[in-house]
Amino acid sequence: MLSSLPDAFAILFTVEGIATLILGTTLGIVLGAMPGIGSTVAVAIVLPFTLSMSQAPAILLLLAVYAGSVYGGSISAILINTPGTPQSAATCLDGYPMAQRGEAGLALGWATQASIVGGLVSAVVLIIAAPQLAAFALQFGPIETFALILLGMTCIVSVSTGSVVKGLLSGMIGIFLSLVGGDPIIGEFRFTFDNWQLYSGFNLLAVVIGVFALSEVFMRASAKITSVSELVSFRGIVFPKLAEWRGRRRNLAKSVLIGNVIGVLPGTGAATAAFISYAEGRRSSPHREDYGKGEPDGIVSSEAANNAVTGGALVPTMALGIPGDAITAVMLATLTLHGITPGPKLVEDNPVLIGAIFAGFFIINLLLLPLGTLLSRVAAPLLRVREAYMMTAIVLLCALGIYFVRGNPFDLLVMGLAGVGGFILRRQGFPMAPLVIGMVLGPTLELTLRQGLILTDGNFFAFFESPIALVLTIVAIAALSLPLVRAALRRKPA
Amino acid sequence: MSRFVNERVFVLLILLLVAAALYASTFTQSFSDVGNAHSPVFFPRIILVLWIGLSLIALIQTLISAPANTPIVGLLRLAILIAAAVAYTMFLNQYGFFLTSAAFAVVCLVVFGVRNPIIIVVYAVVVPGALVALFNHILKMPLPTSPFTFYF
Amino acid sequence: MTIRTSAAALALAVCFAAPAAAEFPERPINLIAPFNAGGGTDLLLRGFAPHFEEAIGSPVFVSNMSGGSGTVAASALSGQRPTGYQMAYMSITVSTIQPQIKNVPYDVDSWTPICSVAASPTLLFVNNDSPFQSMDDVVAAVEAEPGKYVFGSSGPGAMTHLTTVAAFSGLGILDKLKHLPFRGSGPAIKELTAGNIQFFGDTEVLMQRGDFRPLMVFNDERLENYPDVPTAAEVGIEAPLNELYLWGGLFAPAGVPEDVVAKLAEACETAVNSEGFQEFATSSGTVINHRGPEDFEAFFRSQYEDNRALIEAAGL
Repeated sequence: MLSSLPDAFAILFTVEGIATLILGTTLGIVLGAMPGIGSTVAVAIVLPFTLSMSQAPAILLLLAVYAGSVYGGSISAILINTPGTPQSAATCLDGYPMAQRGEAGLALGWATQASIVGGLVSAVVLIIAAPQLAAFALQFGPIETFALILLGMTCIVSVSTGSVVKGLLSGMIGIFLSLVGGDPIIGEFRFTFDNWQLYSGFNLLAVVIGVFALSEVFMRASAKITSVSELVSFRGIVFPKLAEWRGRRRNLAKSVLIGNVIGVLPGTGAATAAFISYAEGRRSSPHREDYGKGEPDGIVSSEAANNAVTGGALVPTMALGIPGDAITAVMLATLTLHGITPGPKLVEDNPVLIGAIFAGFFIINLLLLPLGTLLSRVAAPLLRVREAYMMTAIVLLCALGIYFVRGNPFDLLVMGLAGVGGFILRRQGFPMAPLVIGMVLGPTLELTLRQGLILTDGNFFAFFESPIALVLTIVAIAALSLPLVRAALRRKPA
Repeated sequence: MSRFVNERVFVLLILLLVAAALYASTFTQSFSDVGNAHSPVFFPRIILVLWIGLSLIALIQTLISAPANTPIVGLLRLAILIAAAVAYTMFLNQYGFFLTSAAFAVVCLVVFGVRNPIIIVVYAVVVPGALVALFNHILKMPLPTSPFTFYF
Repeated sequence: MTIRTSAAALALAVCFAAPAAAEFPERPINLIAPFNAGGGTDLLLRGFAPHFEEAIGSPVFVSNMSGGSGTVAASALSGQRPTGYQMAYMSITVSTIQPQIKNVPYDVDSWTPICSVAASPTLLFVNNDSPFQSMDDVVAAVEAEPGKYVFGSSGPGAMTHLTTVAAFSGLGILDKLKHLPFRGSGPAIKELTAGNIQFFGDTEVLMQRGDFRPLMVFNDERLENYPDVPTAAEVGIEAPLNELYLWGGLFAPAGVPEDVVAKLAEACETAVNSEGFQEFATSSGTVINHRGPEDFEAFFRSQYEDNRALIEAAGL
């Protein structure tokens, strides 16, 4: 692997290679930052171009757009409280309160640095330990994945700002919404009431964009209309000083680790990682009391983890030929088109190409810093426009983005209704992040639970014969009960 | 707004009723009977029971503490915007991205306090127009077009 | 519903009574991929579109409409006017399996088949470190320990599911195995590598993604790349379960005027036989299988009937 790096650099450092990286990353950041247009749509936009490119640039373009859009998603999450993608939903929780305090630039600074560290570390891990991590991923069968998802579900408690009961209720609504449509085991339709439009279920992005972005527009219309944008003081990214990182490095390291490990497991994804990392930060960070009120650690937890996933997701993709998420699946398909068979021998057979991809991925993460800074300067005046122009543009972009996710016009209506529902629930103090967690994790929770029950012939207790599942379940129970114990202990001395 | 008849109680009651109705529907709709883990309603029933239980707790909490909602400043404004947004998402496919977006932009800009007709018209034509030009004609990733012409 | 249909028919009559049809195509043609951008079907269609565009002489664009195992796109298309400007690339499952197991608004009579493009035979395979060298080994092991072995699929009713059902039902051991569906081929292949499932069935291209060993092929003859792997018929599986192809082609809604069909079919044939597309097919592992409108319609209808046996066997 390492010996092929010189040849790999020869591919990368050509005019075409460098241009691809810079253009792709820029495009990714811009598209990711637009509310409604996430990684999936960004990749769909560049896909036709990759067909006429040669192998390495084609994959690098996809990678650059992917990594750029994951980072870009944090920008709209912080500035206008609308995550471009589900994976930056956790970033809203602390990013937006900071922006409301007039610290939007600083919040972006934290997010940028955390994203870059997360991405770079995952790139290094990918280069040196992909085969070992891939072997680890194989240990995660349906039962182990079920236990991991169960742990992820406990995050609902930690991201419930305000009432825990309402948070859990939000989570249940999210899970339920994800269950509408085809049953994953026998294929029968549930809760579709013979309406074929519902056969494909409620699209995750349509619901997320509805309950976050559209309901935010309604919230603002229901309040006093201001003609000046609240981002009036925003001039671009402000980086935190190195000294400010003191006391936050442990949290950063932990978040990167969580992102990397979860990214490696196929079918779990960046949103899961971001939420688990956020919950862990909220449990262990020295600043945990301020989580949800605009605490930089909250941004760091979420952003370091979701960017670390991008590298992690490449591990099973490259080492086993198994896509880690929807975007890496597109990459594999693109490789096939270029005459390369993805599979266990991918790295062995194409060391130079894979070396170029890995090194390119490292460079893409380095590029986030200058490009993020530059783009935020350029975009700052655009964001200071009147609220009316901004809100209108958000709705139009959301409609456009949701249309392109699946090309299904029904998803648009889902977004519209989710916006109304989200608005009503938010007014009653229901947090929306648990709903996203429920929708993201619900289908996997159900599928792995039922797969596990098929494998163990219906004996749920046989799940705990797997040591990994046992440990994860204990951690999940601890994560649920510790806050209660802590609260009880605190009450005693009083 | 009394303690027992208010927006919060009303919303929670609806949530409770919806969940109960959905739960009941798992018994009336015909599903193949294939044992616990294989049954398509096995998992949804667990979730719906939790949903019902949690909304009951939330309802009781609300009845005991009765916190007040933030009042809505411009109810008419909000109602117009919600109606426009739902209509927009409903008719976008039928009448094309450009026409519906332009119409929605006019409503949305007015709701958010823009009164200059020139600005409204220019915004409503230029922004959706630019998006249609970009996606339909440059990127060749077409947005829905109107029944009248395939250009927009 | 009847009013709408007759209104549509009337509109059609007005449209195509005029000589305008002779000038087909006068605006861009839309090819719909019923799956996500970047998936196998989508990329095949994107590789095909430029050559089709050249042959038909009008802009051609690919759009995606995914969900419901492809039925959402097919349902939406079946309600459109049959102008020939909108076609979908539909596979065996979208066009012949799904409408027979789900309550979708389309069936065998909803389409004007234009041309078929590809057809790859499927294979049943195991992990390379598996003890099974032949189907005889498999049958013996399954008979010895019923309920122990597990086969995977990418989802209920998917091609991968049908392949395994055809194999085990054809050998009469289906009820002695467990079926474990996954969401997509990726996770299933991972579990096959990890050993949680023992059998999987898919096309040659997908099988090459892992370190797997084929046990039989659902083709009328042995494959060039695997001369030692027996066909299903040789293993003892009887028709109609012995041949299974992941085929796909262009379908327009029923009632496209004949002259338009002829133009589209001619362009399709030219595109399929073009040097560029042949090259694309070689590099992407697509097995080209072209059929004109009449042949394709007959094939489609016979598949629709034949696959009923599979659906019954799978218990869908």
